[in-house]
Amino acid sequence: MCKDEIFRVIQKNIITVLPHITQDVITPDKELKDLGANSIDRSEIILKTLEDLNLKIPLTKIVKFKNIGALSEFIAHEK
Amino acid sequence: MKSRVLVTGMGIVSSIGFNVNDFSQSLKHGNTNFGYLPGPEISMDSAVIGATIKDFSLNTLLDKYTWLPVSCSTNILRYAGRSPLPVIAGVIAASEAWNNADLFNNPVSPERTGIIIAGQNLSNNYQFQLYDKFIKGPEYLTPRYAIEYLDTNIMGILSEIFQIHGEGFTTGGASASGNVGLVKGYQLIEQGDMDICMVVGCLADLSPMDLQGFKNSGAMGGKKFKNNPRKACRPFDEEHEGFIYGQASGCIILESSGSVEKRKTDINAELLGGAIVLDGNRMADPRQEGEVRAMATALKKCQLKPGDIDYLNTHGTSSPIGDNTEIDSIKEVFKNNLSTLIINSTKGLTGHCLYSAGVVELIATIIQLQNNFVHPNINLDNPVDEVCRFAGSVAETVEINIGMSNSFGFGGMNTSIVIKKI
Repeated sequence: MCKDEIFRVIQKNIITVLPHITQDVITPDKELKDLGANSIDRSEIILKTLEDLNLKIPLTKIVKFKNIGALSEFIAHEK
Repeated sequence: MKSRVLVTGMGIVSSIGFNVNDFSQSLKHGNTNFGYLPGPEISMDSAVIGATIKDFSLNTLLDKYTWLPVSCSTNILRYAGRSPLPVIAGVIAASEAWNNADLFNNPVSPERTGIIIAGQNLSNNYQFQLYDKFIKGPEYLTPRYAIEYLDTNIMGILSEIFQIHGEGFTTGGASASGNVGLVKGYQLIEQGDMDICMVVGCLADLSPMDLQGFKNSGAMGGKKFKNNPRKACRPFDEEHEGFIYGQASGCIILESSGSVEKRKTDINAELLGGAIVLDGNRMADPRQEGEVRAMATALKKCQLKPGDIDYLNTHGTSSPIGDNTEIDSIKEVFKNNLSTLIINSTKGLTGHCLYSAGVVELIATIIQLQNNFVHPNINLDNPVDEVCRFAGSVAETVEINIGMSNSFGFGGMNTSIVIKKI
């Protein structure tokens, strides 16, 4: 799965967790924090994405990333 | 100086109405919504009957609530949209009550506003539903779980939505939780600690394990009338055989008379007081001594005599030992006034809403006081007692001014509260 597909999975999960956010606002250069995600929201978005992709990566390995694009890239690399 | 405690807001989500108006109509017409419970089959020798909330959608309700400020509606979806049913039902009931008390337009200081969450074990079904998934992949357990499994979750959510910054806590009292919350709310206002107190009776979201436990303990009914769910819940009838589960969340806004004067808001009724007493009994059996003491203590605290009470909203769960003990207790307390005391059980229409029962039944009592009627006991074909004056099979028009509402619970809990028409 390429990073664009992973980005779309993340995008879907952001909307589930943050229902007031519209799809067009979610771009690879944004940080989850910029979208108003608190620490629990951020963990939930990542866990939901890992679950959708059937991936098991310790959360501690992926807490630091520059933006949503970098997160997609990191997960694509692990997949 | 002690303050008078007034009810300025009411809201409800129940199996017989998703708001106070619809609930009132159902009380008047004796409407019910009993059926077979959905969900996984549980092993037992009879059908599981209950009155659940059906066709309930947060989004649809929010769309209808045009009075709800847009920012509030957005926050509700954001904070509670994916929450378990007790949270969602509580948020809807609280919104209606907040609006009824005109607190969106005419608020008081957040620091002088408190919140009491009446209920316990609110996440049992939520935990039960997550269990299979958890066993397969514990890594994927939502991080939200650590907040959501706590009973105080609903307190946190409501306090953020309505900006409540005063005292807040939960009151567990088994099936008397609602009345325990109301008595504690009464005390906060009476003592001047708060100007406003939101009391939320929480929906009991029973897991299949909880239901089976109640069934195995012999507390639950539904065998004799397993082919006719509408007939199964029959408080004080000779054929009663156990409680029938019901789902509802109710919210009451209590307010000090001083605050009401300042805000010039409408009043639904006055809460005169209430009592909580224990039997010193860890088991499920009700005891006359404690029930009598709860009613007598409530009367004494309110400086009333038995003859001052026109109407009694009973605990009346449809359990033989529960109903019979309550009737004996009522006879002991009201002695020579039984012919003028009208009795009914709201559980005959809503089912037993467990933790929220006290709040739901206070709302039912206020509706009857305000509209001069008593709702029917629809399945009371052969009353277990010939002396007490039970409401009939259809609603009766009658002027009632002061009502009492009883709630009892496992573990020797006995509570009574008293409410007066304004």
